Parts: sequence; structure tokens; C-alpha cells
Amino acid sequence: MEFEAVIGLEIHAELNCATKMFCDCPNRPGDEPNVNTCPTCLWFPGAIPRFSQDALEKASLLCLGLGAELQPRSAFDQKVYYYPDLPKGFQLSQARLPLSRGGGIDITDENGKPKRMRIHHIHMEEDVAKLVHEMEGRLPISLVDFNRAGSPLVEIVTEPDFRAPHEAMEFLKALRTQVRSVGSSECSMENGTMRVDANISVRPRGTSQMNTKVEVKNMNSIRHVGDAIVYEISRQSAAVQAGEAVILHTRLWDPEKKVTLPMRAKFEGPCVPDPAVPVIELSSDWIEKMRSRLPEMPAVKAERFVAQHGLTGEEAMFLSSDPEVAGYFEALIGQGIAPRTAMHWLTTQLIPAVKDRRQELSSSPVTPARFAVLLKMLSQNEINANAAREVLLHLFDSDEAPEAIVSARGFRQVSDPTTLDSLIDKVLGAEPAAVADVRSGQGKAMGFLIGQVMQASGGKANPKIIRELLAKKLGAIS
Amino acid sequence: MDSIFFYRNPETATPKDGHLQGLKIAIQPNISVAGWPTDAGSNALVNFTALEEATIVQRLRQAGASVCGSTRMSEFGFGLQNSKAGEAIRQQAADAELVIDLMGESRLAASRMAVCGYKPSYGLVSRFGLVGLIPSMECCGVLSGSLKNIRDILKAIAGPDELDFSLPDEKTPDFSPQKISPQKTTIGIVAEALSDLPAGQEKMFRASVDELKKAGFCLREMSLPDFSLFSLVHRIVGSVEASSCAGRYDSVRYGQRAPGAKNWNDMYLLSRSAAFGPLLKGYLFQGAFFQFERYDAYEDACRIRARLLTDMQRLTSQADFLVFPAVNCAPSGAPSSLADTYAQFASMAFANVTGQPALYLPPAPGAAHPGFQLAGPRLSDARLLALGEHLLNMRQGGK
Repeated sequence: MEFEAVIGLEIHAELNCATKMFCDCPNRPGDEPNVNTCPTCLWFPGAIPRFSQDALEKASLLCLGLGAELQPRSAFDQKVYYYPDLPKGFQLSQARLPLSRGGGIDITDENGKPKRMRIHHIHMEEDVAKLVHEMEGRLPISLVDFNRAGSPLVEIVTEPDFRAPHEAMEFLKALRTQVRSVGSSECSMENGTMRVDANISVRPRGTSQMNTKVEVKNMNSIRHVGDAIVYEISRQSAAVQAGEAVILHTRLWDPEKKVTLPMRAKFEGPCVPDPAVPVIELSSDWIEKMRSRLPEMPAVKAERFVAQHGLTGEEAMFLSSDPEVAGYFEALIGQGIAPRTAMHWLTTQLIPAVKDRRQELSSSPVTPARFAVLLKMLSQNEINANAAREVLLHLFDSDEAPEAIVSARGFRQVSDPTTLDSLIDKVLGAEPAAVADVRSGQGKAMGFLIGQVMQASGGKANPKIIRELLAKKLGAIS
Repeated sequence: MDSIFFYRNPETATPKDGHLQGLKIAIQPNISVAGWPTDAGSNALVNFTALEEATIVQRLRQAGASVCGSTRMSEFGFGLQNSKAGEAIRQQAADAELVIDLMGESRLAASRMAVCGYKPSYGLVSRFGLVGLIPSMECCGVLSGSLKNIRDILKAIAGPDELDFSLPDEKTPDFSPQKISPQKTTIGIVAEALSDLPAGQEKMFRASVDELKKAGFCLREMSLPDFSLFSLVHRIVGSVEASSCAGRYDSVRYGQRAPGAKNWNDMYLLSRSAAFGPLLKGYLFQGAFFQFERYDAYEDACRIRARLLTDMQRLTSQADFLVFPAVNCAPSGAPSSLADTYAQFASMAFANVTGQPALYLPPAPGAAHPGFQLAGPRLSDARLLALGEHLLNMRQGGK
């Protein structure tokens, strides 16, 4: 029997708010343990949660960015469970009335066809404390770090629309791009600001039944999500074929052994409305105000780059998928750089150089203004491409103006025919064989001669003018 | 051991200004005062010292009152078992007391002491710093022999609080004195509120409302057929909220940790079973049952609550105020079961379910009845207190 998988995803994204969701403690889970705490996030008796406006705005922008419909009325519930990471015995979560419903992301499936992955709803909830298990001598101990307790999260729950690991991975990549471009979350699986649970079941291909699902957790990269789904599909298919029943439970992905292992029965605690947290009512005016704050989403931006700047679809997608890159690109255009030059130099030179230095584009010393001056000198033939690459490296290490670097370090391109003439004569005298080749019509030898003149000039000669002068001297057609 | 006070404020200096200057107010140990032991009457909070100041305490002090201590209370203020509410007034150790009202405790305690007991509208008084049990029902009540004291205290503590976002954005009533004209005021009597009273009590209640008739008020018979459901709805919704809210009492940072636990689950089980008293434990079990086993019944109770609220709003739109009996309907003695505890408050719990204000007025000296409760629509607090003051004035020969 051939099986197909039915997969739904639940994605937790940590909002990059300055404070926690229900108190004014800094939202910095990575600090020294237990420094960012107060009676509210430690849930001491008498404390009352105070819902953060910033969390609401960031969460709402995220929903709108994913095409979801903000609900006029949403509310927090007490989701009951007992565990040391949750000292008040319940988590505040929008269990019954979520912030938004609907929405989705368009991806390309394995056959290259477009496919819409639908989002069921998005709700807000608070994060719980972090447990750290250690040994104190021979005694196993568990430590609780409350820095993360109360951090603002959204949970994005998809429809069970996914049939293959590829689709889940494409969805997560696109989701990450879109959420980053609205600026609500860093969405890094490696740093734990995006956590993905996959609900997976299998059924005979061509049927439409929904079978018992298994929840898989603990993947800390998008690749792991794909690997875990691949493993789980084959495990469940084998089990069903062997006549075993699939039981609803939660499994953990073991990245070393590349298997999923059973953890516990899936637990759904009951929910009680929490009267201490006001019901959230969003007016249509407020929703429109949020919508107007929404940046241009990547897909829309890519279309505009194609139409406005004549880029190919692929180039446009690449530039628009990262808001920082897109912003940098547009800043270069704003400085009068031709779109193709900007695209080419940004993607092949600047971004790799920034990555090599482990910097961020936005905080790199090579600002769009400085880079634009460099690219202008290139397009006006004041320097050649080799020199431009050299100058770029200097821009990282010095705050001098590009022009100053060019002058001081002699990068200015030599276009003066008299100077070049003498260099060319020298090369022609030294390379009679190549000269003969050119005269007999071998184009390759022309390139060799240009290279030799270039070398003799210390890389500063204007290759276009060398070619012209050589052509004239040798009577060849360039 | 101090038989009334759980904690006495060692600080005796009194504030020099404010409209409550000179007023001594006792609170309960479920209201946070920074540095005071705050155990809410439960072993689950033993050794817990409040870190913050409840908004109500801060406002009382700002208005010039001295907070003289906290009196012994029932576990989390649920029922009046072991509670000394009202005793500090009787012994003249306080002019007024703040008493948590989950299902009528402040009003029933007042009736025991023959003083006035007032439960404000839900959402009028900040709950910041209150160690609560049933967040959607509970409210800090005020006891005093003088309604002017109660009105002055409300004036100080009522109104928005930036530390409690759950207070609705509403206009705070004006607690200045106001006139009541009996001829223009209708007071409704809800027939079904009388049908389950112990033998002889209905007659006594009818006799007590004669005072209203004699004072010139228009009395009107009204009907709320499902009145008996107030208690039931309170019991289901209240127990579920209590069970969820009490989840935080895990004996880790405060409270008593039971010995002998092998792991953390054990520790929770052993400590929690040692911490709560039998009455509250039964209540928490009941709440957990509805949460985990009969969630549908809990949802039904929430729906019925919404309907009861509409029914009550209909009555308060047809009459200015309502008058209810204030009878302890428990069989006898100190109630130890949940059923008996709820029976005790059967004529009081309605106001906690609806969130409306309710005032217990003690009988006139020498009268043979137990006094009665007056209630109005939400946020009618100032008028309701004015009505009480009018009646007490009449008793003293005023007009």
C-alpha cells in the first residue's frame, strides 16, 4: 500500500518586544539566570498581569503580514497544567478566542507548482520558565530560570495542508522571511525564537480520512523539521503496514540518532477564562492603523523590483526575501546606482564580505552612501572592477571616503593613451608569439595580451582602452 | 495568641491629613501590605511576606487612614469558618474592616456583628495586591458601624488603577452625600429570593421591609424565576476558577513543603494535600472535576450566568433598588461541608454572580428581624449607600 502524509504545523515565534507580555521586566531570556523577574512573572500571590500594548501591536502586525484576519474580540484563558516551568499552574494563552483566524503562505511544491498553505489561526501566549538539568556531584538537580517566563509568544497553527517534508520546510522558510520583514520576531530556530511542532499522520494515498496523529517536537533547525517528518512518515507507514495502531502521543526528535523517540501522552489541559486579563477588543480603525504600518511584504516587493528595476524574478525574490538586503538595494538605487550594478555588487561582493566578517548589513561600516560612491567611480571608469573590489575591502577597515582611498592608494584607473601606449609597446615586444596569434585571428591571444598590459600597469589600466589601443596597433578586429 | 488579629501593625504613628484621618481600619491577611505576613488564612501561604502594597491599602493610607492590622480569616476568605471578621469593630479596635466578599462573607459577617456590610460593584475597586481565589466573583467588602465611614472609604479606594488593567474603563461614582426622595424611589422584592428561606423567615423579612414602606418608598413585587440558580452557578464557576487560581500554591517559594517526596510531582501532591484545609480541598477537587471531567457543565454554568445577569438587569431597570433577605440558611452550627457553606450564603451569592453592589443593613435596635440587604444595578454604589444612610437617619428620627 502506498501512503501519504498529512502534516500540520504549530509554530511558536517569540516576539521581539522590549518587555515581557504581562509585566515590565526586560524580555531578554539569555541574560544571567533569574535577573529579569518580578512578582508578576514569578506569579507571587497578589500579582496581577498587565498586558503589554507592544506585544499586541507586534502580534497584530505579524498576523496581518501573514494575511490573517484580526478578530474584533480575543481573550486570554488560563491553560491548566502542573510543571515546574510554570509555577502558577496555568499558562495564559488565547485558547478559545484567538487573535486572528485564516491567512496563509504561497510556496512552490516539489513539482515546482504553486501551492497555498493555509493558516488556521494565530494566538498569543506567554512563554514558560526554562528548566536546566544538571548534576551536583552524583545528584541530578533541576534549576529553573524565570528570565523566559512571561516572554511574549505567538503560536501559528496551520491547517493540515502539508503532504511532504519539502512543503513544511518551504513554508517555514517563507514564514521566517515574512515575519522578519514585518519586524515582529527574529524567527531563529537555532536561537529558540522560533519553535516548531509537527503533527503527522499517514493514510493510504488517495483517501481523505484523518488518522490519529503524532506530535513531534525538539527540532532546532528547518532541516531537522524535514528530517523528523521523513523519519516519522516511514515509521508510521511501517507500523500501519504491520497492523499496529498509531496512538496519539508526543515524540522528541533526536538529532544525533536521527530518530523520533516517544516522550509522553499528548496532554491538553482544560482552559478557564481569566477575568484578571481584560478581553481584547480591536476596532476596525485600529486594525486599519496597524495595516498601514505593515511594510511591503516580500512577494509584493519582488514583483515591484521586476517591474520597476528590470530584475529577473529570481534576482528580485533573492533581494526582497531579506528586508535588510532589500532596504540596502533600494538605498543604492536612491543614490543613482543602476539597478543591475547595484544588484550584482550587492549580492556577489558586499553580502559575502559582510558574512565573512560576521557583521550585519545594517551595522556594517560600508553604508549604502559609501558603497554608492564606490560604485559611481566604477561606472564612470575612474576605477576598474579589480580596484573596486580592493577599495571595498578597505572600506571595512577604514572610515576614509572611497575617493580618498582610491587616491591615496593609487587605485585610480589609468586611461591616458600615452602612458598606456608605452606599456603596450613593451608587452608587444616581449610577446611576439601572441602578437602573431592575434594577427592570424585567434581571439584568445588578445585576452592574454590585455592581461599582460594590465599586469604591467599594476592592475590600474582601463581594460576597455587597452583593448582599443591594441586593436588599433595590431589591426585586429576587437 | 491574639484571638482577633493575625497581625498588628507595630507602626502607631497616624497620618496628619486626608479625609480618612483618624480612622482605624483593619484588613485581612489576603490584602498585601509590603513587609506584612500575608497567608490568606491558608497553610499554603504560610511564611509568605507581601512584597508589594495593595492599591487599596496605598489609597487608604494616602487618604489619612491608619491600617491597624489584619484579622484572622477563613482559608482564602471562603466562607466564615474561623473568621474573626467584624470582631475588631465590636471590640472597638477598628472603626472599619476590609473583608473579602466571595459569596457574601462581608455581608454575613456584618449581620453577625449587627454593623453595616457593603460589597461594592465588581470592577470598581482594584484587586492589585489581593490574594484572590475566585477572580470573577470576589470583591473587597467594607464593614463599619457607620455608613459615612463606608462611603468615605469607597471614595478613597474606588476608581481606575494603572496596576489593575481588568478594571473597566467606566466613570467612578461620586461618593459625595446625596438626597434620596422615597416617593420617587421604587424598591423591588424578588419573590423567588424568599421561597427557599427557613420556616418563619419569610414572615420576618416581610415584617422588616415594613420599615421601607413606612419611610415612604414604593415597594414592588417582582419575579426572577431562576433565583435558586445563582448559588449553583456560583458553586460551579467559583470552584473551577478557584481550582485554576490555587494552582500556584506549590510550596516551592513559600508555604509548607511536605517531607518525603521522591520527585517534584510527589512534592506537589504531598505538599498541596497537607496545605489546604478540608473545606477548601473539597472545593478545589470539585473545580478540578468540572475542569477535567465535566467541562460542558462549566460552560453551561457560564451561559446561565450570562442569562441571570440579563434577568437581574431587567429587574434593576424596573425598580431603583432591590431588597433581599440576609438570612443564614445553613441548617445549624458551623458548616463544614460545601453544601452547608453554600446554604449559608444562599441569599447573598447573587451579587457576586452579577457583580452588582449590595449593602447589608442591620435591624433597628430592638427589632425582631435579622436586617436585610439592599442591592442596585452595577455602579449604583453611591446611590445605594445614600439609600442606606437615609434609612439609618430615619431610624434616628431624621427625615
